[in-house]
Amino acid sequence: MSKELTPDEALDKINFTPKSGNWMDTTPSVQIKPGMYCYAAKADSVKTLGLPNARPWNPLEEDWKLPENWQEILHQGIKERLEKFRTFKIFMDVCVRCGACADKCHFFLGTGDPKNMPVLRAELLRSVYRNDFTTAGKILSKIPGGSRLGGGRPLTMEVLKELWYYFFQCTECRRCSVFCPYGIDTAEITIMARELFNLVGLNIDWIATPVSNCFKTGNHLGIQPHAFKDMLDFFVEDIEEITGVDCTPEYQKKGADILFITPSGDVFADPGTYTCQGYLMLFKYLKDKYGLDVTWSTYASEGGNFGFFTSHETMKRLNAKMYAEAKRLGVKWILGGECGHMWRVIHQYMDTMNGPADFLEVPVNPITGTVFENARSTKMVHITEFTADLIKHNKLELDKSRNSNRVITYHDSCNTSRGMGLLDEPRYVINNVCDNFYEMPSNTIREQTFCCGSGSGLNAGENMELRMAGALPRANAVKYVHEKFGVNTLGTVCAIDRAALSTLCEYWVPEVEVYGIHELVGNALILPGEIKRTQDLRMEPLPGMEEE
Amino acid sequence: MNIKQTLKENKSLFLKKWFQATIETYPKDSARILGKDANRFDNPVGAITRESLENILDLITDKYSEESLEKALDPIIRIRAVQAFNASEAVSFVFALKKIGQGILDDSHQRQFDPMVDQIALASFNKFMKCKEEIFLLKATESKRRVHRAFERAGLVAELKENDLLGSKKS
Repeated sequence: MSKELTPDEALDKINFTPKSGNWMDTTPSVQIKPGMYCYAAKADSVKTLGLPNARPWNPLEEDWKLPENWQEILHQGIKERLEKFRTFKIFMDVCVRCGACADKCHFFLGTGDPKNMPVLRAELLRSVYRNDFTTAGKILSKIPGGSRLGGGRPLTMEVLKELWYYFFQCTECRRCSVFCPYGIDTAEITIMARELFNLVGLNIDWIATPVSNCFKTGNHLGIQPHAFKDMLDFFVEDIEEITGVDCTPEYQKKGADILFITPSGDVFADPGTYTCQGYLMLFKYLKDKYGLDVTWSTYASEGGNFGFFTSHETMKRLNAKMYAEAKRLGVKWILGGECGHMWRVIHQYMDTMNGPADFLEVPVNPITGTVFENARSTKMVHITEFTADLIKHNKLELDKSRNSNRVITYHDSCNTSRGMGLLDEPRYVINNVCDNFYEMPSNTIREQTFCCGSGSGLNAGENMELRMAGALPRANAVKYVHEKFGVNTLGTVCAIDRAALSTLCEYWVPEVEVYGIHELVGNALILPGEIKRTQDLRMEPLPGMEEE
Repeated sequence: MNIKQTLKENKSLFLKKWFQATIETYPKDSARILGKDANRFDNPVGAITRESLENILDLITDKYSEESLEKALDPIIRIRAVQAFNASEAVSFVFALKKIGQGILDDSHQRQFDPMVDQIALASFNKFMKCKEEIFLLKATESKRRVHRAFERAGLVAELKENDLLGSKKS
């Protein structure tokens, strides 16, 4: 055991020399760098949502085309939010700048930019709060040099640009909050900052256009109902070719037991499409074996909610359609697909936003009798909880050997792990459909999981350098298990992860492929009446079937 | 004693100074944290930088080629290529070796050492460009690869095949 320091020795280690200069000047005045920022929201998308100041603008240009009274709008916006949200007020006041969060952010660890330390990123906004809203700040601002002494600064255009740049370098993953002794949720500070940006028309396009699409057509990609159905029909054909079983789903079926909603990424983007096929196979199995009646909806065709990254009102608008559809169809409860932020919205905000959903029943798995107590009020259950429950009660026939070529590790999505405590169910499912499961190091998983670096609407193309830098801590752990255990598969339960981690792996660990958990379930599930399976859902030979 | 033996003997001193000089290319408040000898999963930039620099030092005390230098440089350059450095800042850490050498080596060894540093520098330019090209390719093809491929499989788009859109090669 190491020798404990005496008090005198400990004091000797403290550097009593105050640092010269202001901590806010750790980097030069903000320079918006290509590769690190996202393009501005298209005017049309902002207009569709009825949000203020729709116009073309470019973050690299000097003039951001703000309304003349932008300072007044933002001041009023901060004031309203301080009064309305106690968390915001507390988080503005309570930080003691202990620095426990400083080295916990994937963006700080990856970019090496000090203003990405959560404490400093939040301080960018706190300094404005302190200057304009605290008594000490107001008094100090009247004496020369007083503002700097109190850590305050007026909201100038340069400050606004800096806020914008750095609050779009936060994925709201909340890893920092795990380490904060006060429980400050930096994600909520980012959420507030982004709400404020929207008051003066400063959203990014990767958020605004999906939100606008979702508002108009029901999903982020703006795919219309017939195309949604075409895609699922196509999956049905593929599954039939692989298994010989027709898994055609129901759409908008009134009186079905369960409404199933998944992120549109599962329907339209690889490799989520294979996860989607896994869902279709599971529902077919449950229908044939137990008569469970699951319906899809082309109206509620999006589980994700980019409104969450815009403002609470916008989040509420998008969330409402899922419940409206459940009500219209008269289902008992809602089953949700593998998604991340969708679950944060459901678990943390839905109930006070659009809930309680008392027109639905408390979710009970009709096959096992399990009551999903955690969803008693929201009436919405995550599919890995549902599948884990089925497996636990021996309700699924599974052939693990079909996944024996997958050496897998599991990435906890920030939102499902820290946002709702879904930690063991996905692992339980994986261990029942695969034999070769290896955990990444303990300081990179479960509650301490590292973000994919592309969450909260930052999964754009133009900020690829930022995304890859933010992905480094996650990739570093994936690479470790790849080298140590031969891991070739990164499992995840989040649609953004499936897209983002695929790109992360291409850059950092190209030998590893990304899989959704229900893709692995689909491979292992023995469907009633299936033909001899020789291919997995990617139409590659199953282990041992390479010659056939 | 030849230059390689001298480098081998002074490796830990070279590594210590080179690591410090490399970490100091980050802003001061970041360097304080990234320079810590922490768990490699808590501080990936620090750990990978240290390993990479050590591998390069090991390599130049032995036989090496442009290819093996690029391989050893890959982890550190791969990181610096996605940080907010411009090209010269990203590879500047290599040139710090010359100055470090001046404090450790005698003149004749230094004259032999400088061309070795030049070779590392040239390899680092190559690696930096390759990483940037990978990034540009990811930027150009990511959404097409994800969404277009699914649409193509479903027969919803037919005019162009995925390969036509992706260009000559996969990253």
